[in-house]
Amino acid sequence: MAEKTFQKLWITFLKDLKLSFNGIYFYIEVGMAVIFTLVMVFVVPENFDSSQTFHVVLDAEPAYQSFLRNLFESEDLGQIQFHDDRHALHQAMEADRSSVGVVLSMDAQGLQYNLVLQGYESPRMRTLLKTLIEGELLSQTPGWSGTTDTRVLEPDSERLTDRAHVLPIYLTVNVGLMGLFIIAAYIFLDKDEGVIKAFAVAPVHIWQYLASKLCIMLIIGLGSSLLVVFALVGRQAHYGLLLGATVAFNLFGSTLGLFIASFFDTMVKAMGALYLAVMVLMIASVSYFMPSFNPLWIRIFPSYPMLFSFRELLLSNGNAWYVLQNIGFFLILSGVLFGLSVHRFKRSITV
Amino acid sequence: MIEKESSRGTEKKGENMISVENLSHYYTQNQVFAVKNVSFQVEKGEIFGFLGPSGAGKSTTQGVLTGLLPLQQGRVRVAGHDLSHPKRTMFNKIGVSFEQSNVYGKLTARENLDFYAKLFDVPTMKTMDLLEMVGLDKVADKKAGTFSKGMKHRLTFVRSMINKPEMWFLDEPTTGLDPAIGSQIKDIIRQENEKGATVFLTTHNMQVADELCDRVAFIIDGEIKLIDSPRNLKLQFGQQMVVVDHLVQGQRKTEQFSLIMDEDKTRLNQLIQTGQIQMMHTKEATLEEIFIKVTGRGLE
Ligand SMILES: Nc1ncnc2c1ncn2[C@@H]1O[C@H](COP(=O)(O)OP(=O)(O)OP(=O)(O)O)[C@@H](O)[C@H]1O
Ligand SMILES: [Mg+2]
Repeated sequence: MAEKTFQKLWITFLKDLKLSFNGIYFYIEVGMAVIFTLVMVFVVPENFDSSQTFHVVLDAEPAYQSFLRNLFESEDLGQIQFHDDRHALHQAMEADRSSVGVVLSMDAQGLQYNLVLQGYESPRMRTLLKTLIEGELLSQTPGWSGTTDTRVLEPDSERLTDRAHVLPIYLTVNVGLMGLFIIAAYIFLDKDEGVIKAFAVAPVHIWQYLASKLCIMLIIGLGSSLLVVFALVGRQAHYGLLLGATVAFNLFGSTLGLFIASFFDTMVKAMGALYLAVMVLMIASVSYFMPSFNPLWIRIFPSYPMLFSFRELLLSNGNAWYVLQNIGFFLILSGVLFGLSVHRFKRSITV
Repeated sequence: MIEKESSRGTEKKGENMISVENLSHYYTQNQVFAVKNVSFQVEKGEIFGFLGPSGAGKSTTQGVLTGLLPLQQGRVRVAGHDLSHPKRTMFNKIGVSFEQSNVYGKLTARENLDFYAKLFDVPTMKTMDLLEMVGLDKVADKKAGTFSKGMKHRLTFVRSMINKPEMWFLDEPTTGLDPAIGSQIKDIIRQENEKGATVFLTTHNMQVADELCDRVAFIIDGEIKLIDSPRNLKLQFGQQMVVVDHLVQGQRKTEQFSLIMDEDKTRLNQLIQTGQIQMMHTKEATLEEIFIKVTGRGLE
């Protein structure tokens, strides 16, 4: 009996797979994955700021100066220009609006540094510069006591390359949330064609119909997530966790899409609600780009755990427990949403 | 009530395949009752016609009987299942053909049927046999989306018999088909009925109903006005007419005479005695004429 049940699900799934290869959504999703990968690989540098010019003023005793100079030059910081005083540095920076500057000075307390910025730099960028200077330069410098007032926004010593840093956003949107629209579109397509009625008068269950759609979304989600992650970070990601997170978050997106779709009878009518849901769900991405902004209320939006789970599994020493917890949580949530959707669709799908 | 020879001879007569008591159904969208307090029974082995003009509530009734629409009021039993507690397995015994064809346009005719067949737990008919029955065997591997309306309709029709249903629901099975194919479909329905299928046939084509149905129900504005066999209806309501072709000054003229109205009878008598009659035959009233008489409304 159970065997027959899954056999029918499998048959329905194969049919849906064939249909999705014949339809447009599959190619949209694959196309997005390919375009994203190509843009990231060929247009976006590994780190956005690597071609930046570094303007430096060394305000210290001559003996010390040459030491610092050597230190700067030995680090791979892109282009470095030394200036005699702050005024010259400002002028140089005005000429090149994408450059950044640093003034190092030696006084009674020891070595001090001042970052000179253009003003548009993101908090992320500022943190990056601080880490760079403190971590890689000054820590090697005698006389550095580490007393500079530094607010560390991301306590992890490890950070993602800028390319990899965008990945969680892509994964959350494309693997998790795009499913809302696509699965709803699939359902309404079947409704439009009327085939759902034929299905409804066969000895199959509505959950089999819906589960088959979930499987299609899973295939698309897994395919595009694995493809993009492998192309961009290679073996660096934790693929076990990636698989789990993709499945859990993708199911969440799909079941939420089903649930919302169950309240409407055409795609046009459902569109507004779906769009609103995605927007609300994505609010937490603000926090992803501004790590210091993470009040409790923002962490309850599903995109928060989604984004940060994807982030953790891209780090080589990420917090696996955090990811696993979220996988579990989202699987349970998906189960509940699926149950509710089946319940609702049972009465409404053929009406 | 119905005497018919068929393979179902062993089954006891009078057993109901469909039993509907006080069924009402309304659409929430417009708060209007599409079906009002309808009751009827369909016996096993019968072809039961549900006749009425557009918007009468035929498809709505079929929708409730096939579980596509929720049962809101009344009691309905179909093929031994109480529709207030429907079981999915009952669809192994049921076949449903739809007014609007609904096949996967992106699958071929063959794929459509192959997929559907696998959803059943009972033996199913061979895909190619089915396609051949309705002349679609040559386009078996063409996508159904490229089919004409009539072809899609035929595909929807044969799909509904794939599980050799005991209870077969047909919503407008011949509408929109050319007469040759229409009569092919009628033959198939007759054959399946002879093999034992009970048929619930919805139509506004009186001729189809007349030819196929053991009994018909006239439905108008969601209410059943009358249920009887076409033959009884004709005996009860139909006037016998005599059609006469005769020559008037070398020109042929066709006239109809009622055998009930005195005026017509006198006129016919005269004609027989003095006229030049070429041909004369009696004609039954059509079911359509009876429908109009009973309900005061046409069928279109
Ligand atoms: N989905 C729906 N929503 C709202 N009203 C509906 C719906 N379907 C049918 N109706 C209304 O219910 C009534 C009965 O419609 P139904 O389709 O059952 O008629 P029908 O007898 O099958 O007509 P036809 O011969 O045109 O197929 C009509 O007044 C129709 O407007
Ligand atoms: Mg109808």
